[in-house]
Amino acid sequence: MADNALYILLCSGEREKIQMAAMMAAVAAVSERPVQVFVSMNAMLAFDKNAPLATRYHGGAFAKLLHDQKAPDPMVLFQQGKDLGDLKMWACSMALDIQGWEMSHLDETLFDGPLGLTKFLSDAESGQFVTL
Amino acid sequence: MADQTLDAKGLNCPLPILRAKKALKDMATGQTLEIIATDPGSIPDFEAFCRTTGNQMLESKQDGNLYKFLIKRTA
Repeated sequence: MADNALYILLCSGEREKIQMAAMMAAVAAVSERPVQVFVSMNAMLAFDKNAPLATRYHGGAFAKLLHDQKAPDPMVLFQQGKDLGDLKMWACSMALDIQGWEMSHLDETLFDGPLGLTKFLSDAESGQFVTL
Repeated sequence: MADQTLDAKGLNCPLPILRAKKALKDMATGQTLEIIATDPGSIPDFEAFCRTTGNQMLESKQDGNLYKFLIKRTA
């Protein structure tokens, strides 16, 4: 992976943080930077493909503003990043196991597969690392 | 005269950049894309976008609340 690659560790289920992760991932991807997103903990719940939009995220005052102002949904931004650039998304294998989910529980057009934290951290050694 | 125009008025960051990338992807090398945006962060955003993607910014100007760009696809 290139030295300018961006690695995002996304753990929060807050709309604000998922929105920022999606914005960073999409912009970096269309700016020719390879991006990898590792989704774990509460963030995983937001990617449940069966979850209704109304309950998908939680958050504070800005989450409400993003919803009310019809900001683009983070899932749409992640998808655009994948369509237009080199963006890969991984589901934390531990979180999947704890939650009792298979990959089929997640949007398969977004995720490239399950991954362990050790491999993600190893890949991220040469890039820029962001945690949200 | 640009080969294509992208109306990004009313779109907030990062949508103008994403729409521009999508438009440029479907254009041939050497063609030009005009972008009209209202996002106040547009000028530094599009300058950075061109720098990192290798596309050429031919024109960048502010006209009141409108930001206009002319980008040549070179990458």
